[in-house]
Amino acid sequence: MHPAAWLVWAVAAGGIAMLTTNPFYLLPLASMAAFVHAACRVPGPGARSFRIFALFGVFALITRTALVAVTPYAIGFDSVVLAAAEGLRLAVLLIVFGTFNSVSDPFKLLKLAPRRWHEPALVVALALSIAPRTIDAVEKVRGAQKMRGIEVLRWRSLPALAVPVLSTGMENALTLAASMDARGHGSGPRTRYRPDVWDRKSIAATLVCVVAVALFTAALVRGEAGLLVSIPAEWPPVDPLLLLACVALALPGLLSPTRT
Amino acid sequence: MTDAIVFSEVSFAYGPDAPEVLRRTSLSIPEGAFVLVTGATGAGKSTFLRCINGLVPHFSGGVWSGEVAVAGSSTIEHAPRGLAAQVAYVSQDPDASFVLDRVEDELAYAMENLAVPPHAMRRRVEETLDLLALAPLRDRSVRSLSGGERQRVAIASALTAGARILVLDEPTSQLDPQGAEDVLAALKRLVDDLAFTVIVAEHRLERVTAFADLAVGAFSSGRFEIGDVAGIVEQLGGGPPVTRLGRRLGWTPLPLTVREARARVGRVNGVTGSREVEIARHFGSPVVAMTGVSARYARDEVLHDVTLTIDERVTALIGRNGAGKTTLLRCLAGLHDPASGRIAMASSGASPRTGTDVAFSPQDPGDILYAETVAAEVAATLDARGASTEELDKWLDAAGLESKRDIHPRDLSAGERSLLAIVAIAATAARILALDEPTRGLDPESKDRLCELLDTMAREGHAIVVATHDVELVAEMADHVVMLAAGEVVAQGPPRAILSGSPVFSPQMARISDGRWLTLDEATTALGSS
Repeated sequence: MHPAAWLVWAVAAGGIAMLTTNPFYLLPLASMAAFVHAACRVPGPGARSFRIFALFGVFALITRTALVAVTPYAIGFDSVVLAAAEGLRLAVLLIVFGTFNSVSDPFKLLKLAPRRWHEPALVVALALSIAPRTIDAVEKVRGAQKMRGIEVLRWRSLPALAVPVLSTGMENALTLAASMDARGHGSGPRTRYRPDVWDRKSIAATLVCVVAVALFTAALVRGEAGLLVSIPAEWPPVDPLLLLACVALALPGLLSPTRT
Repeated sequence: MTDAIVFSEVSFAYGPDAPEVLRRTSLSIPEGAFVLVTGATGAGKSTFLRCINGLVPHFSGGVWSGEVAVAGSSTIEHAPRGLAAQVAYVSQDPDASFVLDRVEDELAYAMENLAVPPHAMRRRVEETLDLLALAPLRDRSVRSLSGGERQRVAIASALTAGARILVLDEPTSQLDPQGAEDVLAALKRLVDDLAFTVIVAEHRLERVTAFADLAVGAFSSGRFEIGDVAGIVEQLGGGPPVTRLGRRLGWTPLPLTVREARARVGRVNGVTGSREVEIARHFGSPVVAMTGVSARYARDEVLHDVTLTIDERVTALIGRNGAGKTTLLRCLAGLHDPASGRIAMASSGASPRTGTDVAFSPQDPGDILYAETVAAEVAATLDARGASTEELDKWLDAAGLESKRDIHPRDLSAGERSLLAIVAIAATAARILALDEPTRGLDPESKDRLCELLDTMAREGHAIVVATHDVELVAEMADHVVMLAAGEVVAQGPPRAILSGSPVFSPQMARISDGRWLTLDEATTALGSS
């Protein structure tokens, strides 16, 4: 798929998650994101970090709910349900972001940025690549320290994890910056090597994403019931068309699975 | 011949209080030369290379005076990016220098920055893929490649930029002997046929001396000199095994290549005799057995049905890049689960426990070093296994770091840092110690120290397994050699049997003696007594 099509997919999935707290939309959305990750992931640090983002999502859901459940000001069952619905939304956002990380290469997106925006786009691409790289480094250091009997996940041995991860991270960042400069980055006008082409699959996936977001936006504008979980808590109604829109976001997974 | 690079009165220190790495260095490198930069670790070879495209001082800061002119442009007036069309630079650490993910995109990156027209880019990418035998890897992610493949990709992505001056910092450190030879020969062809200027820093001189036209010596206290290779190596001491042999036997001129040494050996000895010096090798009892072990990454089978017993001695794993050496070590260390087969300790029959039965030393010392001092680093390991700190001195002494116990690991030379990391892992006192390419970036002195340490440990009953491309190291210290190819054990036995007949893996001493000698000591004894 074209890298921009992935960006559209992520914005659409994330955007829909922002518009609703209805679990009947959010849960299919999360499943579709997980499916897309499974089908289209590019082996590498990005794909490995998906699991971490998913765990963070579950963690967010639990803490968000638990915090409201134990607070002394709780207004009972309803507010716990509301908190859980919002927690679920947060979890879905994290899963979508994790999927985006695992299927797309931020540096390919960078190539698409107009020349004038190259510098800021580069900053964004580097920032996007930090999370997966750090997760990778943590795994590596953990394995290495385990060799000498240091279990880094214990509080006391935190420096054994933090110092190598941060210092090599810092060194690597400097090496990368030097390497980019030495290879002429920012020296003037650029050309593009074999630009990505918009094939039919990418166009189809993008159109579906746009339609899905449009349906949700229209529902919001109409003030359709069931987008948000309301009080008193009860199972929210489901609009089959919107449900279909969520499911349709699985399309990239069906159209262009990673060749193995 | 015009000069490609001119250093005029260059002095540089990383800070106002730091020692000068270059001191009033004036030298010029002619166009169309293959130049070797050599000297001990920490003598400033990398700094020297980074001066050539302006990374020093633009990216390092520090105190600078003097001027470097590259193809007529001053590195002070032009930032590295402004010189990218003239100078291509390959850093010591290819992994951290990759910008893009796909091999082909990485190769094109510099050309995109330099606005090379698309059709020219495509052609140059294809040519470079062929030149460095990377075509089958073009669609792969650089992060999925083996160490040697990554190194070739890093070199290729420097070549595509079209610069006629190539600066490479230890470009063959992770390549097998044949791979290194191919890369250096490709560079030599660029020099001979197209008048490129190639500047290479390298520790394993035995690989480069045959290719180099000139050498820059990094002497201590910031002195750099250019001259013919023989002269510089003679002044610096050390050198490849043939040169050291010549020095021991008082030959003049000193031989630099196997060819020169062969001629000399023939003259000394008439026809090389059948004099064979067997060195005493020790053999211990079995420690761990691998039975029918296969391993895969994703869907690729990397190890196939490996059956191997590892004894109390130094076992060397050799084989070309991607043969499965690292995977074998990772399986042994419990870092990678074999797809089938079993690995069992001879004593208990159970699989080796990570950190107690087996310890694996990482390639990059940065993965484990975290303490404030050298001593604290080793003490952390002893502490974790509940050993008394009395052992501390023993380990520091073994690594030759006794005198540096209170300094910060960051302030050690690269060679010393590697030794410290190895000792910090060895201090687990695990029965099996696995090392992956431990001599990467080690100068000869640190290398000797490492050999001693491993030899002592083997005599104390440890099983040492070393995966390496450094055949000279294997010849010096291995008791047993296992050769892997495409994930299978193709040969194993004593070093003489495995190494001396091999066209690729034989050490220099075997080459000059038709396989009669392996080590410098053997050759010295044999030649000295005639």
